Amino acid sequence: MERRVLITGAGVLSPLGSSPAAMHAALIAGESGLGAVSLFPLDGLVSAEGARAAEVRGFDARAHLPEGNLRPLDRIGRLVAAAAGEALADAGWTAELRREREVGLVLGTMFCGIHTIAEFDRRGLTLGPSYASPMDFANTVLNSAAGQTAIWHGLRGVNSTVAGGAASGLQAVAYAAELIAGGRAEALLAGGAEELSYEAFLGFSRAGRLCGSNGATISRVSGVAEVPVPFDARRNGFVLGEGAGLAMLEGAETAARRGARVLAEVRGWGAAYDPSRGEEPARAERAVQRAVERALAAAGVDAGEVDAVWCSASGSPAGDRAEARGIAAAFGVRAVPATALKSMLGEGLGAAGGLAVADILETMRDGALASIAGLEQLEEGFSLGVSAQRRALPVRQALACAAGFDGQVAALVLKAFGAAEA
Amino acid sequence: MPRRVVVTGIGVVTPIGTGRQAFWEALLAGRSGFAPVATFDTSRHPAHLGAEVRDFSPGPWVRTLDPARLGRASQMAVAAARLALADAGLAPEELEAEATGVSMGTTSGEPLEVERLDDRILAGETAQVGAEFVERYPCHTIAGSIAAELGCEGPVTMIPTACAAGNYAVAHAFEALRGERDGVDAMLAGGADAFSRITYTGFARLGAIAPEVCQPFDRNRKGMIPGEGAAVLVLEPLDRALARGARIYAEVAGYGLSCDAHHMTAAHPQGEGAARAMEAALAMSGLTAGDVSYVSAHGTGTPTNDRLEALAVKRVFGARRVPISSIKSMLGHTMGAASAIEAAVCALACAESVAPPTMNFADPDPECDLDVIPNAPRPMPVEVAMNNAYAFGGNNASLIVRRWES
Amino acid sequence: MDRAEIRSRIKEVISNVAGLDSQRIGDHDSWEELNLDSLSLLEIGVDVDMAFKLGLPDETYKGIRSLDAMVDLVESRQAEQDVAVASPQQATA
Repeated sequence: MERRVLITGAGVLSPLGSSPAAMHAALIAGESGLGAVSLFPLDGLVSAEGARAAEVRGFDARAHLPEGNLRPLDRIGRLVAAAAGEALADAGWTAELRREREVGLVLGTMFCGIHTIAEFDRRGLTLGPSYASPMDFANTVLNSAAGQTAIWHGLRGVNSTVAGGAASGLQAVAYAAELIAGGRAEALLAGGAEELSYEAFLGFSRAGRLCGSNGATISRVSGVAEVPVPFDARRNGFVLGEGAGLAMLEGAETAARRGARVLAEVRGWGAAYDPSRGEEPARAERAVQRAVERALAAAGVDAGEVDAVWCSASGSPAGDRAEARGIAAAFGVRAVPATALKSMLGEGLGAAGGLAVADILETMRDGALASIAGLEQLEEGFSLGVSAQRRALPVRQALACAAGFDGQVAALVLKAFGAAEA
Repeated sequence: MPRRVVVTGIGVVTPIGTGRQAFWEALLAGRSGFAPVATFDTSRHPAHLGAEVRDFSPGPWVRTLDPARLGRASQMAVAAARLALADAGLAPEELEAEATGVSMGTTSGEPLEVERLDDRILAGETAQVGAEFVERYPCHTIAGSIAAELGCEGPVTMIPTACAAGNYAVAHAFEALRGERDGVDAMLAGGADAFSRITYTGFARLGAIAPEVCQPFDRNRKGMIPGEGAAVLVLEPLDRALARGARIYAEVAGYGLSCDAHHMTAAHPQGEGAARAMEAALAMSGLTAGDVSYVSAHGTGTPTNDRLEALAVKRVFGARRVPISSIKSMLGHTMGAASAIEAAVCALACAESVAPPTMNFADPDPECDLDVIPNAPRPMPVEVAMNNAYAFGGNNASLIVRRWES
Repeated sequence: MDRAEIRSRIKEVISNVAGLDSQRIGDHDSWEELNLDSLSLLEIGVDVDMAFKLGLPDETYKGIRSLDAMVDLVESRQAEQDVAVASPQQATA
């Protein structure tokens, strides 16, 4: 007997605010979280214009984690621990309650503490292996942020980490929902996180993926306008982002027993893989279509019943196209209302899915759907109902979709709580 | 109605052998995988032994993809996947693409790739970095490479939960098949990790590497020995396996996951989390501690792990001296591959009615008062085998497999 | 560098690593009294070595169990280094 999976709270650290409400308000206002890179020097890696990212600016971990030693945590560890604290508080899972019952964490991330890993290596090379930092070594494993957060908040339930590029966050929510539905866990924080790092910036820049490089394997093509705008015909790459977004998932019984306020239900989830890893457009589209169809089937929901779709499009020429076509194929002729938050939040990699889920909950609450900021010219043939303007739209059932860089696609169906049963 | 899930194929790349048969024979012969580290200079490290996979070549295994575009862990993972399919009597073309998924675990992903990046950064050569870093480094490429090589279109999941990751990955695949998630009918599940200076330097800094020998549960044990490798298990629903006349090694009965939430690199001092994971696995499997025939220990060989593990085992098994061995005494600690290799060993133990030994065992430790199956394999019926794994971050995972009777 | 200065800098290191208020670290506290875990102790060892440029093998720090012992270590090592600087032909490798 499968248990219903409910969402009772959420917490975010984002380039546009450190609560779901603040982030959502900024998204609705069309504010951009993209700005100059401040976290690390770029040493001429890209031109000054190309040195943009969506940072969680002025991130003050202490403001969210008032007690305790922060030194053992690196940036991503702090982002996750902070978001977890916010989500737990929002859901009413007090420290006392967490001592009585096990709360766990499933975190999606692409790189986890990549900067820590690289710094650990470089210091050992430069000064000698006996000068490598033992404390940093603990953060070189890819589940370190999840582990540190569990220690910080006493989360003794299932603790897991899922890595799927930009699909990580939604994959983590699906993983957690599966465990709760099957009775393996009662309450799990689920979502994703990523820290902005020099190493990832260098890597994506040298791979020609950042906007303005026109796909060439050099950092930046001078004189080329940057258009990190999802689905826009002129788009030429993404701007990296960072952040952490966690939702509190729990079984219906657990929520009822403690009188929790319920925000939404996770109705279904689906996944698929494109073995061409994006190199064959038809296969990439099929993977998106399949993941979406599987999520809808698992939710027992018709495409026609979905009020809006949150896409993971980021400004990637090929990636956005595969997603647009794949979703359209799943939805048939209907131009379902859709949005893509990366126009304002940047490509947050592991964080993206978590931030999207938090925004979905906010839209369900206030009926305001964020625009795709900067969208001027939708690529021909794209039939999603996107808009450069924010819209008033009651959303009872939402679909979130995310395609990673390596072929993974994840899709999630959420239903507003209290909405009449179909 | 949840489906029953069985193990029908095993593929391994290990420091003591590649391929199920060669590996199993070496394991029962007590072969040691330890040797002085060959792939980087350890002259400034306090330790020098490792369990590297010598002479691994991706050529025979990576055929669809270009091996140069895969990191080492991905290459070994693909090799293990092809070996597992062959072992299951399945040609890749026979797999139904949409119904085949992949679930893999790892500790460090592809650390050699970030090491290369660091070499460039320190030499001021960032201009020479190409697309290869973001193509080869992300750890999800380990699962992705298997799927891309074999054309799998089902769910592909990478679970980097460090040294317990193999168990997590098999557990996740088990759940997917049980519940028919995403229409899956076959899952390739396991783990992989590549030997690296980052990992070695880290464990050396913690003073955790044994200078001469890895001897789990021995009174004089001095530490673990880092290793590398990959393992993939083919998991199928029971009715599908029977319908195609597959050889069944064992049935996956259940698993348990818990978190110590205590310390990043040291386990809970009373073995509380580890005990909870074992108990959850037993409960899910509908079994009691008394039903377990054999336990594959995490048994890294460090003074602390083995002592706390023994404590946890006592909490669950009480006065009963359940046979429990650590194959890390031969393979070293293969990180994310470890519990996947050990899960395969548990399935083989059930199928072949023999439990592998803990090697290098000379002097019992009164604080680890266990039946460690010292120095020689033990022919015995193995009805139920439990595989335990503990990771940095306090991630604990126990997996249970049962003997299959046709 | 005098003992007070050495002690003060070591307290800073401990404070940074363990998140303790350096004002509340007693001059003669043991590591046990300060509740420092094994990972913190390893980190303090390497941070002290780098702060004072001691260049000592890391096993040295395993035997240190108190702030006094650490101050003694730094003091004696600095004395060795001063001698080495004063008489280069006697410098140890």
